[in-house]
Amino acid sequence: MLLNLSIKLIIREIRSGYLTSMLVSLTLAITIVSGISLFTDRLEKALDTQTEEFLGGNLKFESNTKKIEPLLKKLDVKDSRFMEMALFASVVFSEEEMQLSSVKAVDNSYPLIGSLELRNAEGVYSTKSNPTSGTIWVDERLQNLLKINFGDEVYIGDKSFIFTDTITYEPDRASGNFSFAPKTIMNMADLESTQIIQPGSRVEYNYLFAGPENEMLYIRNFLEDAKESGDEIEMLGEDTSSLGRAIDRSENFFLLGGLIAVLLSACTISIASQRFTRRHISYVAILKTLGMQTLHIRFLYFLIFFYTTVLTLGFGVFFGWLLQNNFINLMSAYFPTELPPPGFYPLLITCLTAFICQFGFIYPHILKLLSISPMRVLKDDIGLNQGSLSVISAGLLAFYLLLFLYTNQVTLSLIIFLAVIVFSFVGIGSIYLLLGNKNLGLGASGPLNLALSELRRRKLGNSFQIFAFTVAIGLSLITFSASKDLLGSWQNSIPEDSPNNFAINITKEDKGLMELFLEENEIRASSFFPVANSSLSKLENDKEVPIDRNFNITWVNDLPEQNKVLEGNWFSNKNLNGISISDEISERYNLGVGDIVLLKLENKNIKTFVQSIRTVNWDSFSPNFFVIGHPSLFEDIPSTYITSFFIPKEKQESAAELMREFRTVSVFSIEELIKQVKEIIDQVTKALNSILLLTCLSAIFLALSALQDGFSVRKHQSAILRTLGASNSLIKNSALIEFAILGLVSGFLGALMSYAGIYFIETKVFETTANFYPELIVLGPIIGFIIVSGLCFYLINGIVKKSPKELLN
Amino acid sequence: MILSTKNLRKEVSSGNSNLVILEDINLNVEEGESLAITGPSGSGKSTLLGLLAGLDNPSSGYIFLNKIPLHELNEEERARVRKENVAFVFQSFELLPSLTALENVMLPSELKSKKDPESNAKYFLDRVGLKDRQHHYPNQLSGGEQQRVAIARAFACSSKILFADEPTGNLDPKNGKLISDLLFEVNSESDNALVVVTHDHDLAKKCDKTISLKLGKVAE
Repeated sequence: MLLNLSIKLIIREIRSGYLTSMLVSLTLAITIVSGISLFTDRLEKALDTQTEEFLGGNLKFESNTKKIEPLLKKLDVKDSRFMEMALFASVVFSEEEMQLSSVKAVDNSYPLIGSLELRNAEGVYSTKSNPTSGTIWVDERLQNLLKINFGDEVYIGDKSFIFTDTITYEPDRASGNFSFAPKTIMNMADLESTQIIQPGSRVEYNYLFAGPENEMLYIRNFLEDAKESGDEIEMLGEDTSSLGRAIDRSENFFLLGGLIAVLLSACTISIASQRFTRRHISYVAILKTLGMQTLHIRFLYFLIFFYTTVLTLGFGVFFGWLLQNNFINLMSAYFPTELPPPGFYPLLITCLTAFICQFGFIYPHILKLLSISPMRVLKDDIGLNQGSLSVISAGLLAFYLLLFLYTNQVTLSLIIFLAVIVFSFVGIGSIYLLLGNKNLGLGASGPLNLALSELRRRKLGNSFQIFAFTVAIGLSLITFSASKDLLGSWQNSIPEDSPNNFAINITKEDKGLMELFLEENEIRASSFFPVANSSLSKLENDKEVPIDRNFNITWVNDLPEQNKVLEGNWFSNKNLNGISISDEISERYNLGVGDIVLLKLENKNIKTFVQSIRTVNWDSFSPNFFVIGHPSLFEDIPSTYITSFFIPKEKQESAAELMREFRTVSVFSIEELIKQVKEIIDQVTKALNSILLLTCLSAIFLALSALQDGFSVRKHQSAILRTLGASNSLIKNSALIEFAILGLVSGFLGALMSYAGIYFIETKVFETTANFYPELIVLGPIIGFIIVSGLCFYLINGIVKKSPKELLN
Repeated sequence: MILSTKNLRKEVSSGNSNLVILEDINLNVEEGESLAITGPSGSGKSTLLGLLAGLDNPSSGYIFLNKIPLHELNEEERARVRKENVAFVFQSFELLPSLTALENVMLPSELKSKKDPESNAKYFLDRVGLKDRQHHYPNQLSGGEQQRVAIARAFACSSKILFADEPTGNLDPKNGKLISDLLFEVNSESDNALVVVTHDHDLAKKCDKTISLKLGKVAE
């Protein structure tokens, strides 16, 4: 019987439309949460796979010597594999041409992870092996520069090779300092016979490892002990690429968007639950009067509660899956393989969100409803006075739990929680006081008088309504700002004329000629930065504390673009000048302003000090340096130069000419990379806009719920006023004026709230600089005016369309 | 003549067919005259009152209120006619809960943009014996007191005709008698026409004439 009754009740509730805002809001929240968590989970897994391929293994050891080779025999691992490669720059000769190339000599375990894509005379194919001894693979650029065909002979050092395949894709693209230069892959067994590697030659040995995580950690610890100055260890999960950082930031945004949508939905659900309870007071009282036990009534409403959970969870997860599928389709071109399936976590976070919303914002109202006295049947004025404290407490607890679920930080959740409570009290209190005292009478002589009188008369209700609209508009503006901020920072990092070519290994002699060449061809280049390799040690009481890596150092008078001094001062003519280091180096090696350091260059040691610490924008497509010195320190230091320049499409032949003219200079194009990053930004923009749109939808539902709640009272008032002869236009216009004012005020307050929120989120949560958009202060009131007045127009039209007799019945 | 109808008919759609609520209603009410409409539940009394007061439109037939053809007017035009000519007293009082007794009574004057609605409202509240309760809200008043506020509101309109729908229906016999006495007493002072829908025979007897409805038609 109870089952039938509960099904009838839920169907009736859904048909009546009273549950619409609650069901839609909850479904929307679950859609957004499941969509975002499924997408980010799959994206993270895909990125891990891609980074693994990019790195060439799970762990990489980089050294300038072959010293760890004997040590590797001592490794006690069962399931791990490793490989060795040597990377160096060398001139490759063909019958007609010669060209500097980045050469990679690989052993027979290559590639450790992933596979190569090659092209030969028969077409494109993929392989999991290295070139056989005596053969060589080169990329398309080098093939064109050397003007060679399959089967032609090429020379590296003293050895000749047969060119057999063109490289179209290689997995370990992170290997080597010159990974953008025209590339050659040869067999490690042929390295010795080239006679290229001589004592003092600049060569980099990479050891790549792949295997289970515990063995990787063991190998890492093992290598840490073997590591010496200049060696580097890189492990999967420590991705600092610009794409990795971009994805990290967009994930932050997705989670913020999800949290905001959930909070908006929670407010809507709370309002809708109150309405549901009010509507069911008489129903419960009658059931009690007829003798139904409270336990049965509780079960009846529990069933209704259960149906809403199942319905919203089912539809929400379904739509969430479609949403993430849409995101995945947008990004699919950038993942070479099919994305891995999602794990258990997205489902867990979705279910937890649904249950917290249900138990925190709906169930307490139902419990309160069950406490109604059967006397209500006899006396209309018996209401739900008990249990308000428990409803508020449950709501607040649920709110805190949601914050914790999304931030995973107790303190941060508590700060946001308390800030929202204080903001609510101060906000509602201020609005209440601002609305002033009511005048005598309803002010029904004209629409403006009636609107102003209604604003004052419903002071408390209006304060809550303004607060609800403020929250809706404010949170939407925060999402809008965060999305704008994210996209703006990416787009600014790749301006239209950002350098698309780099040139390295420019000798002092070539520098002048190359500047002339670029000038003649009207190609704008950035500065020519001198480059020298150096190790860096910290001097503590004249004792040398080596820092475990070598750096490419430059020396310039002016602070490079997109660098910002955080501590200390940039070089000046007045002071004794030292070096400037990046904030990463400062943090990683505990180096501060004033610390004495020793630079060990090829032919000279320089004792100097840290003069400043800089932030460096690694996402910019310009040469960036960890260490920059003052030119006075490096006057007689031999160096090569590096520069970057933008070659427009129509001048592409200039690039080839430049390479032919300056054969020892390595020129490599990053046009494809820029294009790819731009495309990714475009696709992520679409995903961000979808989240923004869904958040705005949640906000509109909150505004609609808050309005609907107040409009049930207005319905009765409107019927009486119209019975007494008030015209429809008086009712309509006064409501529109009233809600236009509410919308404008809420929009203004929402803009202020968004500024405070953006400051807090950007500086305290994302730990970046907060960007404020002045247009929000205008945009907020406009959005408030349009949305609130629009919804009011829709609702008031529904009222005035009915005759007063219908409304009074 | 303040009110007259001819061949008045009202039908509503019910599923696939039309349900006739009222049929062939012809009546006349002179200025200052009172008319009681009686009949069993479901006979169409309240529907007739709604049509006469211009709250609803007839399906066919004619209604003239103060010589204005209500049957030809749309809702906005009927609202204007109601504002100038009509006052109401309902069975369920229909006071605005957010307004005090005084403010409820001021409402019709405010709608007509009259000067000093407050003193006019105070006069009528005094007249119905609620001078001391003028700042009370409806939920602070008893049923009888609420109906007295509704009567004060009706007379504060300075209308030409007052429609009362079961004005004593929600009250006990003692309060019911008090209210019906008050209604006729104040009405006699204003020379309004009065149309009352009622089950109360005593109230009906006080009216100048009575029509009884049965299944939507005037019973012979």
